[in-house]
Amino acid sequence: MLRLTRILGSSADEHVAERLHVLAHAGAVEYVTLRKEDTARRRLHVFTDRGTEAGIMLDRSERLANGAVLLLDDDRAVVVRLEEPQWLALAPRDAACALELGYFCGNMHWKVRFAGEYLHISLEGPADTYLARIAHLVGGGKVKVVGNE
Amino acid sequence: MNTVAPGILRPPIASRPTGAARVGVGGPVGSGKTALLENLIPRFLRRGTDLAIITNDIATREDAERVRRSGLIAPDRVLAVETGACPHSAIREDPTLNIQAADALDAKFPGLELILIESGGDNLASSFSLDLVDYWMFVIDVAGGDDIPRKRGLGVLSCDLLVINKIDLAPYVRVDLQRMIREANDVRGGRPVLLTNCATGEGVDAVVEHLAREVLFDAASSGMDALDRR
Repeated sequence: MLRLTRILGSSADEHVAERLHVLAHAGAVEYVTLRKEDTARRRLHVFTDRGTEAGIMLDRSERLANGAVLLLDDDRAVVVRLEEPQWLALAPRDAACALELGYFCGNMHWKVRFAGEYLHISLEGPADTYLARIAHLVGGGKVKVVGNE
Repeated sequence: MNTVAPGILRPPIASRPTGAARVGVGGPVGSGKTALLENLIPRFLRRGTDLAIITNDIATREDAERVRRSGLIAPDRVLAVETGACPHSAIREDPTLNIQAADALDAKFPGLELILIESGGDNLASSFSLDLVDYWMFVIDVAGGDDIPRKRGLGVLSCDLLVINKIDLAPYVRVDLQRMIREANDVRGGRPVLLTNCATGEGVDAVVEHLAREVLFDAASSGMDALDRR
Protein backbone atom coordinates (compact mmCIF):
# COMPACT_ATOMS: atom_id res chain seq x y z
CA MET A 1 0.00 0.00 0.00
CA LEU A 2 1.19 3.48 -0.88
CA ARG A 3 0.96 5.91 2.03
CA LEU A 4 0.32 9.50 0.99
CA THR A 5 0.84 11.85 3.92
CA ARG A 6 1.06 15.34 2.50
CA ILE A 7 -0.48 17.66 -0.06
CA LEU A 8 2.60 18.65 -2.02
CA GLY A 9 0.96 21.28 -4.16
CA SER A 10 -1.79 21.86 -6.67
CA SER A 11 -1.93 20.70 -10.25
CA ALA A 12 -2.97 24.27 -11.10
CA ASP A 13 0.39 25.63 -9.98
CA GLU A 14 2.55 26.35 -13.02
CA HIS A 15 5.64 24.65 -11.66
CA VAL A 16 3.70 21.55 -10.68
CA ALA A 17 1.69 21.50 -13.90
CA GLU A 18 4.87 21.41 -15.96
CA ARG A 19 6.15 18.35 -14.11
CA LEU A 20 2.74 16.67 -14.34
CA HIS A 21 2.66 17.37 -18.06
CA VAL A 22 5.97 15.58 -18.55
CA LEU A 23 4.89 12.65 -16.41
CA ALA A 24 1.54 12.45 -18.20
CA HIS A 25 3.38 11.97 -21.50
CA ALA A 26 5.11 9.02 -19.89
CA GLY A 27 1.78 7.70 -18.68
CA ALA A 28 2.94 8.13 -15.09
CA VAL A 29 0.16 10.27 -13.58
CA GLU A 30 -2.40 8.40 -11.50
CA TYR A 31 -5.68 9.92 -10.35
CA VAL A 32 -7.67 9.36 -7.18
CA THR A 33 -11.32 10.28 -7.75
CA LEU A 34 -13.19 11.47 -4.67
CA ARG A 35 -16.69 12.65 -3.87
CA LYS A 36 -16.75 16.24 -2.69
CA GLU A 37 -17.95 15.27 0.78
CA ASP A 38 -14.97 12.96 1.22
CA THR A 39 -12.53 15.85 0.97
CA ALA A 40 -13.26 16.61 4.64
CA ARG A 41 -11.66 13.30 5.66
CA ARG A 42 -7.99 13.18 6.63
CA ARG A 43 -7.81 9.39 6.30
CA LEU A 44 -8.96 7.63 3.17
CA HIS A 45 -8.36 4.18 1.80
CA VAL A 46 -8.43 4.58 -1.97
CA PHE A 47 -7.44 3.06 -5.27
CA THR A 48 -6.03 5.12 -8.12
CA ASP A 49 -7.38 4.82 -11.65
CA ARG A 50 -4.48 2.44 -12.29
CA GLY A 51 -5.50 0.23 -9.40
CA THR A 52 -2.78 1.29 -6.97
CA GLU A 53 -3.96 0.86 -3.39
CA ALA A 54 -3.21 3.92 -1.27
CA GLY A 55 -3.80 5.22 2.22
CA ILE A 56 -4.23 8.98 2.41
CA MET A 57 -3.32 10.22 5.90
CA LEU A 58 -3.06 13.96 6.27
CA ASP A 59 -2.41 16.41 9.07
CA ARG A 60 -5.64 17.73 10.54
CA SER A 61 -4.68 21.15 9.21
CA GLU A 62 -4.73 19.90 5.62
CA ARG A 63 -7.78 19.56 3.40
CA LEU A 64 -8.06 17.72 0.13
CA ALA A 65 -9.19 19.61 -2.95
CA ASN A 66 -9.53 19.08 -6.66
CA GLY A 67 -6.04 18.95 -8.13
CA ALA A 68 -4.24 18.24 -4.85
CA VAL A 69 -0.94 16.53 -5.65
CA LEU A 70 -0.17 13.76 -3.18
CA LEU A 71 2.87 12.25 -4.86
CA LEU A 72 5.29 13.82 -7.31
CA ASP A 73 8.44 11.88 -8.04
CA ASP A 74 10.63 11.80 -11.12
CA ASP A 75 8.76 8.74 -12.29
CA ARG A 76 5.28 9.00 -10.85
CA ALA A 77 2.54 11.33 -9.61
CA VAL A 78 -0.77 10.92 -7.79
CA VAL A 79 -3.38 13.65 -8.16
CA VAL A 80 -6.84 14.08 -6.60
CA ARG A 81 -9.76 14.57 -8.91
CA LEU A 82 -13.25 15.39 -7.61
CA GLU A 83 -16.37 13.76 -8.95
CA GLU A 84 -18.78 16.16 -10.55
CA PRO A 85 -21.53 16.77 -8.00
CA GLN A 86 -24.84 15.15 -8.89
CA TRP A 87 -28.06 17.07 -8.37
CA LEU A 88 -31.71 16.07 -8.32
CA ALA A 89 -33.79 18.99 -9.62
CA LEU A 90 -37.30 19.34 -8.24
CA ALA A 91 -40.12 21.72 -9.08
CA PRO A 92 -42.72 22.27 -6.34
CA ARG A 93 -46.28 22.85 -7.60
CA ASP A 94 -46.85 26.04 -5.61
CA ALA A 95 -45.53 27.99 -2.62
CA ALA A 96 -47.17 25.71 -0.07
CA CYS A 97 -45.61 22.66 -1.71
CA ALA A 98 -42.25 24.46 -1.80
CA LEU A 99 -42.47 25.03 1.94
CA GLU A 100 -43.30 21.40 2.54
CA LEU A 101 -40.46 20.23 0.30
CA GLY A 102 -37.99 22.60 1.93
CA TYR A 103 -39.04 21.49 5.40
CA PHE A 104 -38.72 17.84 4.42
CA CYS A 105 -35.25 18.27 2.90
CA GLY A 106 -34.08 20.11 6.00
CA ASN A 107 -35.45 17.38 8.21
CA MET A 108 -33.50 14.86 6.16
CA HIS A 109 -30.31 16.96 6.49
CA TRP A 110 -29.94 16.97 2.72
CA LYS A 111 -27.74 19.58 1.15
CA VAL A 112 -29.69 21.73 -1.33
CA ARG A 113 -29.29 24.73 -3.56
CA PHE A 114 -31.95 27.02 -4.99
CA ALA A 115 -32.29 27.67 -8.71
CA GLY A 116 -35.19 30.00 -9.36
CA GLU A 117 -38.36 27.99 -8.90
CA TYR A 118 -36.41 24.75 -8.60
CA LEU A 119 -34.81 23.14 -5.62
CA HIS A 120 -31.73 21.01 -6.26
CA ILE A 121 -30.73 18.23 -3.87
CA SER A 122 -27.07 17.27 -3.73
CA LEU A 123 -26.93 13.51 -4.24
CA GLU A 124 -24.58 11.72 -1.90
CA GLY A 125 -25.91 8.33 -2.93
CA PRO A 126 -28.17 6.76 -5.56
CA ALA A 127 -30.96 9.04 -6.82
CA ASP A 128 -33.46 6.22 -6.17
CA THR A 129 -32.79 6.50 -2.45
CA TYR A 130 -33.81 10.16 -2.50
CA LEU A 131 -36.77 9.54 -4.79
CA ALA A 132 -38.06 6.88 -2.41
CA ARG A 133 -38.04 9.38 0.45
CA ILE A 134 -39.97 12.03 -1.49
CA ALA A 135 -42.36 9.57 -3.12
CA HIS A 136 -45.26 10.98 -1.09
CA LEU A 137 -44.58 14.44 -2.51
CA VAL A 138 -44.01 13.31 -6.09
CA GLY A 139 -46.87 10.81 -6.06
CA GLY A 140 -49.24 13.40 -4.64
CA GLY A 141 -48.37 15.85 -7.41
CA LYS A 142 -46.88 18.35 -5.01
CA VAL A 143 -43.41 18.06 -6.50
CA LYS A 144 -42.23 17.20 -9.98
CA VAL A 145 -38.84 15.69 -10.76
CA VAL A 146 -37.41 17.83 -13.54
CA GLY A 147 -33.90 16.50 -13.79
CA ASN A 148 -31.13 14.36 -12.47
CA GLU A 149 -27.81 15.85 -13.51
CA MET B 1 -5.49 25.20 7.31
CA ASN B 2 -2.22 25.06 5.42
CA THR B 3 -2.07 26.74 2.08
CA VAL B 4 0.47 26.26 -0.62
CA ALA B 5 1.82 29.33 -2.34
CA PRO B 6 1.52 29.19 -6.12
CA GLY B 7 4.55 27.67 -7.76
CA ILE B 8 5.97 26.33 -4.54
CA LEU B 9 6.14 22.60 -4.13
CA ARG B 10 6.14 21.52 -0.52
CA PRO B 11 8.68 18.87 0.40
CA PRO B 12 7.35 15.39 1.05
CA ILE B 13 8.94 15.16 4.48
CA ALA B 14 6.19 13.85 6.69
CA SER B 15 6.45 10.18 7.48
CA ARG B 16 3.44 10.40 9.73
CA PRO B 17 0.79 13.10 9.83
CA THR B 18 0.02 15.22 12.85
CA GLY B 19 -3.08 14.01 14.61
CA ALA B 20 -4.63 10.62 15.13
CA ALA B 21 -7.24 9.04 12.90
CA ARG B 22 -10.70 9.82 14.27
CA VAL B 23 -13.39 7.17 14.09
CA GLY B 24 -17.00 7.73 15.18
CA VAL B 25 -19.20 5.14 16.85
CA GLY B 26 -22.89 6.04 16.65
CA GLY B 27 -26.18 4.26 16.95
CA PRO B 28 -29.44 3.96 18.89
CA VAL B 29 -29.68 3.79 22.68
CA GLY B 30 -28.76 0.34 23.98
CA SER B 31 -27.40 -1.03 20.72
CA GLY B 32 -24.03 -1.78 22.30
CA LYS B 33 -21.79 1.15 21.40
CA THR B 34 -20.00 1.19 24.76
CA ALA B 35 -19.79 -2.59 24.81
CA LEU B 36 -18.19 -2.46 21.37
CA LEU B 37 -15.69 0.13 22.66
CA GLU B 38 -14.86 -2.16 25.57
CA ASN B 39 -14.16 -4.92 23.07
CA LEU B 40 -12.18 -2.73 20.66
CA ILE B 41 -9.86 -1.18 23.26
CA PRO B 42 -7.93 -4.31 24.31
CA ARG B 43 -7.69 -5.52 20.74
CA PHE B 44 -6.24 -2.25 19.44
CA LEU B 45 -3.85 -2.06 22.40
CA ARG B 46 -2.70 -5.64 21.73
CA ARG B 47 -1.89 -4.80 18.13
CA GLY B 48 0.16 -1.82 19.37
CA THR B 49 -2.18 1.00 18.39
CA ASP B 50 -1.74 4.18 20.45
CA LEU B 51 -5.36 4.81 21.42
CA ALA B 52 -7.65 7.28 23.18
CA ILE B 53 -11.41 7.47 23.71
CA ILE B 54 -14.05 10.19 23.76
CA THR B 55 -17.54 9.42 24.98
CA ASN B 56 -20.66 11.57 24.68
CA ASP B 57 -23.56 11.63 27.10
CA ILE B 58 -26.44 14.07 27.38
CA ALA B 59 -26.06 15.15 31.00
CA THR B 60 -23.62 12.79 32.70
CA ARG B 61 -20.20 11.21 32.22
CA GLU B 62 -21.59 7.73 32.70
CA ASP B 63 -20.04 6.10 29.63
CA ALA B 64 -16.62 7.71 30.21
CA GLU B 65 -16.61 6.57 33.83
CA ARG B 66 -17.61 3.08 32.73
CA VAL B 67 -14.67 2.91 30.30
CA ARG B 68 -12.26 4.47 32.83
CA ARG B 69 -13.27 2.03 35.54
CA SER B 70 -12.95 -0.90 33.17
CA GLY B 71 -9.17 -0.88 33.58
CA LEU B 72 -8.83 -1.48 29.86
CA ILE B 73 -7.08 1.81 29.15
CA ALA B 74 -5.34 4.54 31.16
CA PRO B 75 -8.08 6.79 32.57
CA ASP B 76 -6.43 9.97 31.29
CA ARG B 77 -6.90 8.65 27.76
CA VAL B 78 -10.67 8.77 28.15
CA LEU B 79 -12.45 12.12 27.82
CA ALA B 80 -16.14 12.81 28.35
CA VAL B 81 -18.24 15.29 26.42
CA GLU B 82 -21.56 16.32 27.92
CA THR B 83 -23.70 17.30 24.96
CA GLY B 84 -26.47 18.89 27.01
CA ALA B 85 -28.84 18.34 24.10
CA CYS B 86 -29.64 15.83 21.40
CA PRO B 87 -26.47 13.75 20.96
CA HIS B 88 -26.43 14.22 17.20
CA SER B 89 -26.04 17.97 17.65
CA ALA B 90 -22.55 17.41 19.10
CA ILE B 91 -21.37 15.06 16.37
CA ARG B 92 -23.00 16.65 13.35
CA GLU B 93 -24.52 20.15 13.57
CA ASP B 94 -21.87 21.62 15.86
CA PRO B 95 -19.12 19.14 16.71
CA THR B 96 -16.91 21.82 18.30
CA LEU B 97 -16.85 20.19 21.76
CA ASN B 98 -15.75 16.87 20.31
CA ILE B 99 -13.18 18.46 18.00
CA GLN B 100 -11.71 20.32 20.98
CA ALA B 101 -11.59 17.10 23.00
CA ALA B 102 -9.87 15.26 20.14
CA ASP B 103 -7.41 18.12 19.66
CA ALA B 104 -6.64 18.03 23.38
CA LEU B 105 -5.89 14.30 23.19
CA ASP B 106 -3.67 14.83 20.15
CA ALA B 107 -1.76 17.52 22.03
CA LYS B 108 -1.41 15.48 25.22
CA PHE B 109 -0.36 12.25 23.50
CA PRO B 110 1.85 13.14 20.51
CA GLY B 111 2.13 9.56 19.27
CA LEU B 112 -1.60 9.00 19.29
CA GLU B 113 -2.76 6.96 16.31
CA LEU B 114 -6.48 6.46 16.84
CA ILE B 115 -9.28 8.25 18.68
CA LEU B 116 -12.60 6.44 18.98
CA ILE B 117 -15.46 8.90 19.48
CA GLU B 118 -18.63 7.35 20.87
CA SER B 119 -21.82 9.31 20.32
CA GLY B 120 -24.56 9.41 22.88
CA GLY B 121 -27.41 7.02 22.17
CA ASP B 122 -29.61 8.50 19.48
CA ASN B 123 -32.04 7.45 16.77
CA LEU B 124 -31.76 6.02 13.27
CA ALA B 125 -31.25 9.48 11.75
CA SER B 126 -28.03 10.11 13.65
CA SER B 127 -24.87 10.74 11.64
CA PHE B 128 -21.37 12.15 12.07
CA SER B 129 -19.93 15.25 10.47
CA LEU B 130 -16.80 14.50 8.46
CA ASP B 131 -15.35 17.65 9.99
CA LEU B 132 -15.15 15.61 13.19
CA VAL B 133 -14.31 12.08 12.06
CA ASP B 134 -12.48 10.46 9.19
CA TYR B 135 -14.63 7.37 9.30
CA TRP B 136 -17.68 6.31 11.26
CA MET B 137 -19.65 3.25 12.12
CA PHE B 138 -23.26 2.85 13.13
CA VAL B 139 -24.16 0.16 15.63
CA ILE B 140 -27.61 -1.42 15.61
CA ASP B 141 -28.72 -4.60 17.31
CA VAL B 142 -31.02 -7.45 16.46
CA ALA B 143 -33.15 -6.86 19.57
CA GLY B 144 -34.11 -3.48 18.13
CA GLY B 145 -35.97 -5.34 15.40
CA ASP B 146 -34.99 -6.83 12.07
CA ASP B 147 -36.86 -4.07 10.26
CA ILE B 148 -34.24 -1.44 11.16
CA PRO B 149 -32.16 -1.73 7.96
CA ARG B 150 -35.13 -1.54 5.61
CA LYS B 151 -36.39 1.57 7.40
CA ARG B 152 -33.46 3.30 5.66
CA GLY B 153 -32.49 5.58 8.48
CA LEU B 154 -29.78 8.11 7.69
CA GLY B 155 -27.34 6.41 10.04
CA VAL B 156 -27.82 2.99 8.47
CA LEU B 157 -27.56 4.37 4.94
CA SER B 158 -24.69 6.81 5.26
CA CYS B 159 -22.27 5.28 7.75
CA ASP B 160 -18.99 3.87 6.47
CA LEU B 161 -19.46 0.62 8.38
CA LEU B 162 -22.71 -0.81 9.72
CA VAL B 163 -22.30 -3.09 12.74
CA ILE B 164 -25.16 -5.40 13.67
CA ASN B 165 -24.63 -6.34 17.31
CA LYS B 166 -26.18 -8.90 19.69
CA ILE B 167 -26.48 -11.47 16.93
CA ASP B 168 -26.76 -14.18 19.58
CA LEU B 169 -30.17 -12.81 20.59
CA ALA B 170 -31.81 -13.32 17.21
CA PRO B 171 -33.62 -16.57 18.08
CA TYR B 172 -34.94 -15.10 21.32
CA VAL B 173 -36.44 -11.98 19.78
CA ARG B 174 -37.85 -13.70 16.71
CA VAL B 175 -35.48 -11.99 14.33
CA ASP B 176 -34.58 -13.48 10.98
CA LEU B 177 -30.89 -12.55 11.07
CA GLN B 178 -30.15 -13.64 7.52
CA ARG B 179 -32.96 -11.46 6.22
CA MET B 180 -31.71 -8.55 8.32
CA ILE B 181 -28.21 -8.95 6.86
CA ARG B 182 -29.58 -9.23 3.34
CA GLU B 183 -31.68 -6.10 3.71
CA ALA B 184 -28.78 -4.22 5.30
CA ASN B 185 -26.60 -5.07 2.31
CA ASP B 186 -29.37 -4.08 -0.09
CA VAL B 187 -30.06 -0.64 1.38
CA ARG B 188 -26.34 0.09 1.70
CA GLY B 189 -25.54 -0.85 -1.86
CA GLY B 190 -22.96 -3.39 -0.81
CA ARG B 191 -20.99 -1.15 1.52
CA PRO B 192 -19.56 -2.90 4.58
CA VAL B 193 -21.74 -4.65 7.15
CA LEU B 194 -20.19 -6.61 10.02
CA LEU B 195 -21.78 -8.76 12.71
CA THR B 196 -20.81 -8.80 16.38
CA ASN B 197 -21.76 -10.27 19.70
CA CYS B 198 -20.05 -7.94 22.14
CA ALA B 199 -21.06 -10.14 25.08
CA THR B 200 -18.52 -12.72 23.89
CA GLY B 201 -16.34 -10.68 21.53
CA GLU B 202 -17.49 -12.63 18.49
CA GLY B 203 -16.89 -10.65 15.30
CA VAL B 204 -14.95 -7.82 16.95
CA ASP B 205 -11.61 -8.87 15.46
CA ALA B 206 -13.09 -8.25 12.03
CA VAL B 207 -14.09 -4.72 13.09
CA VAL B 208 -10.53 -4.05 14.26
CA GLU B 209 -9.04 -5.38 11.04
CA HIS B 210 -11.50 -3.34 9.02
CA LEU B 211 -10.74 -0.07 10.83
CA ALA B 212 -6.98 -0.69 10.63
CA ARG B 213 -7.26 -1.23 6.90
CA GLU B 214 -9.45 1.83 6.34
CA VAL B 215 -7.78 4.49 8.52
CA LEU B 216 -4.54 3.34 10.20
CA PHE B 217 -2.43 2.11 7.27
CA ASP B 218 0.26 1.03 9.74
CA ALA B 219 2.77 -1.77 9.47
CA ALA B 220 0.36 -4.10 11.21
CA SER B 221 -2.24 -3.49 8.53
CA SER B 222 -2.12 -5.99 5.75
CA GLY B 223 -0.74 -5.10 2.38
CA MET B 224 2.03 -2.65 3.35
CA ASP B 225 4.78 -3.12 0.81
CA ALA B 226 7.87 -1.65 -0.77
CA LEU B 227 5.85 1.04 -2.51
CA ASP B 228 5.52 2.81 0.82
CA ARG B 229 7.58 5.85 -0.07
CA ARG B 230 6.45 8.31 2.54
